[in-house]
Amino acid sequence: MTSVPVNKQPVSTAPSPPTVAVSGDGDLFALAGVLEIATLAEARHALQKWSKHASSRVLDIAGLDSIDTPGALFLCDLRTQGVELAGIRAEHQALLDLICELDLKPLPKIKVVPRWRQIVIQMGKGAHDARHEAIDVITFIGRAASWTVNALMHPHCLRPAAITRHVAETGIQALPIIGLMAFMIAIVIGYQGVAQLRPFGGEDYTINLVAVSVLREMGVLITAIMVAGRSGSAFTAEIGVMQTREEVDALNVMGIEPMQVLVVPRIIALVITLPLLTFFADIMGLIGGAAISQFLLDVSPTQYLTRLPHVVDGSDLFVGLFKAPIFAFFIAIVGCMHGLRVSGSAESVGRETTRAVVKSIFLVLALDAFFSILFEQLGI
Amino acid sequence: MSTRGKAHAETILSARGIVNRFGKQVVHDKLNLDIVRGEIIGIAGGSGSGKSVLLKTLVGLHQPDAGEILLNAKPIQSIGAAEKSALIGVLFQQGALFSSLTVAQNIMLPMREHTTLPAKEQERIAAMKLALAGMSADSGIKFPSALSGGMVKRAAFARALALDPKIFFLDEPTSDLDPIAASGIDALIRQLNQILGITVVIVTHDLTTLFTVCGRIAVLVDKHLTIDTADKLRRSDQPWIHEFFHGPRAEGAMKARKPNHGN
Repeated sequence: MTSVPVNKQPVSTAPSPPTVAVSGDGDLFALAGVLEIATLAEARHALQKWSKHASSRVLDIAGLDSIDTPGALFLCDLRTQGVELAGIRAEHQALLDLICELDLKPLPKIKVVPRWRQIVIQMGKGAHDARHEAIDVITFIGRAASWTVNALMHPHCLRPAAITRHVAETGIQALPIIGLMAFMIAIVIGYQGVAQLRPFGGEDYTINLVAVSVLREMGVLITAIMVAGRSGSAFTAEIGVMQTREEVDALNVMGIEPMQVLVVPRIIALVITLPLLTFFADIMGLIGGAAISQFLLDVSPTQYLTRLPHVVDGSDLFVGLFKAPIFAFFIAIVGCMHGLRVSGSAESVGRETTRAVVKSIFLVLALDAFFSILFEQLGI
Repeated sequence: MSTRGKAHAETILSARGIVNRFGKQVVHDKLNLDIVRGEIIGIAGGSGSGKSVLLKTLVGLHQPDAGEILLNAKPIQSIGAAEKSALIGVLFQQGALFSSLTVAQNIMLPMREHTTLPAKEQERIAAMKLALAGMSADSGIKFPSALSGGMVKRAAFARALALDPKIFFLDEPTSDLDPIAASGIDALIRQLNQILGITVVIVTHDLTTLFTVCGRIAVLVDKHLTIDTADKLRRSDQPWIHEFFHGPRAEGAMKARKPNHGN
């Protein structure tokens, strides 16, 4: 570097962009410079004017300093169009030979199915899948239930360490979020109740509304949905990752039944925790009701407590708690089933986790609707 | 072979005083490496010796705790994205093909981002890259999940070469491959180096690749690099290097070398 920088302008460190020069006319053209992917469009454009009628076209490429593979492809294409390449440098000969000798076929086109047919295909596939899903779920429920009963009949098959770990993970660690959600849902119902009942002068019935809906429906629903999103997905992901790392196959080879060590402890743990979490949610919901009564109805917590036994009875609590273990059973089943369905890749873990959460929340709500009708008919 | 003669002419990539540590564990302690334009250099070392971290450092994916990487005499961090993509190609160990794109779309992605070529031309170049990597045009419309391990490597090869890089890094190119596919990859590397003049850096512990493809070998032992030809490294006194180049596998790989090199 002999030149002294006069101005303090940032010196561009990038080399000047490579260029290709095209010269000549008639039958003879010459390329000089750099024929690379960056200059390809330029060269093509310049050579477009070249008449195709010229009888013997010659392209002199002795002036080319470097050629890359797309450049060589361009030259090979010209050659097949009847252009003679002249003055090929020795170092370019091998590259040109390599590229020109490649047997190039165009990429096959991906068949595009028309939109309306896609919809029909989707519907058909959906129906087909739904049928298989139903069969799979029923089969899995049967297998899981039989293994669970088997484990309960032979207590030495139970795995207390695994069960307690899952109780801690699905239950104790979920307490704060479930308590908070139950408290807030009680406040939401309370506000709506006061707003709707006040015109009729029946705002005191808000206490009934909150207490009954929390105990019968909201407590257990909120808990089940939260557990499905939190623990059902965790079951799928845990078992799914084991599946991708062939850990489930390793269990099978060792003669250990994956159902017994992976599925049964999770089912038992969730059946234990969900009713307890529901009871906790009920209590928090009732506390939320107390807060609403204090601030919107001027009913003190002690008055609220004395009124509570008059507005709810044991059957309300029973209806809520009765549903909890059933929801738990299905959430655990769906979570484990999708975990075991994971095949190989990491994407499949994500896909199955999504499916497990969607399906278990759907099942919870469908069962809840069923129970609502059932209890109505039974008059509980 | 033409490149061997002027080997000492030009350094394309140079690592100066690279230090990498994770917590208290020092992986690389002030190591230096000069890669000469047009050569094939192998980086070897035991499992966990920091080969992959070194590769990531060399391509600028990992910022070293000290030292610098110069690519064409410029600090690698100062090179712009488009320029870098035309200079560096990387074949990742698992291929790193984008699973939502077909093989051909994978190859065309760098072209679509960094050039203004029309789609038709890009497709033709992609078909050419596939053919160069030894794949049929039909596999271009397949998704990576439908490819075998060897095919994934070849497809990733084609994608890494999409913009005709000047220096090509390969991370364990022959791991998980059957011997036939592995030899195919070795031959492909040699061909690219000889005909396109691409500088190749191979991180591997495949001894056959090291002996038959690489001109020089950089062995990563005790946080430092020992760089030399295979023959000289075989005479090294360093216990690990001696063991590495004289184990039963090394002797087998040396036999494979003879017919290829003829010396």
